[in-house]
Amino acid sequence: MIAIQARDVDIGKLIAGAKKQGTGAIVVFDGIVRDDDIREMELEAYGEVAVPELEKIASEAKETYNLLSVDIIHRIGRLAIGENILVIVVGARHRQEAYEGSRFIIEAIKAGVPIWKKELRRDGDRWVPGEHRHGSGQKS
Amino acid sequence: MTVRIRFFARFRELLGTDIVVDAKEGTVLSGLVKDVAGKNKEGYDAIFDEKGIFREFVIIMQNGKRVETTAAAMTRVADGDEIAVFPPVAGG
Repeated sequence: MIAIQARDVDIGKLIAGAKKQGTGAIVVFDGIVRDDDIREMELEAYGEVAVPELEKIASEAKETYNLLSVDIIHRIGRLAIGENILVIVVGARHRQEAYEGSRFIIEAIKAGVPIWKKELRRDGDRWVPGEHRHGSGQKS
Repeated sequence: MTVRIRFFARFRELLGTDIVVDAKEGTVLSGLVKDVAGKNKEGYDAIFDEKGIFREFVIIMQNGKRVETTAAAMTRVADGDEIAVFPPVAGG
């Protein structure tokens, strides 16, 4: 399942679904709203581009790391401290592939998928700065 | 011709989103964004520097495909295009 959604994620259901024939390892990445002196986090996505980008990342990860399953769910909207922001569940025959595939996916999302975060802070709101090289068409 | 412009994140807060523009034939990307962003000084300054050049971190997409900011002055828009303008991504 690849999705961008406001509602929370049933991680247990994703893990159950990832247990396919041949699966020997499942790695779950759960990015959550950290208490960095904020009240809440607000997330925004360019969904029409972000979802196909996530699908592309999932396909590339599957092929490169021989993954048997990939689920990526990124949440949008207003989230409280401790809530899930991003859940990645990957299944593979062996742990090394699962760990490496999971790491590849999170780094690729951070580098290029059009999603933004705003911290609603006690001392004023702040957009989380993204990493970039420049806007001249090259991926950061 | 009709072109849709979508700003995201900080740019959206300053300039709005889902802006439909009636553009003349031959309009280029940079000119279109300048015209629309020019309606709000803070928004314009967030995207362009004092020489009117795209700031280095600005990302532009035309129908979901990235366009180099350096090529925006030579890239024409077409009827029905969707142009997206946004700051560096920060998901995950």
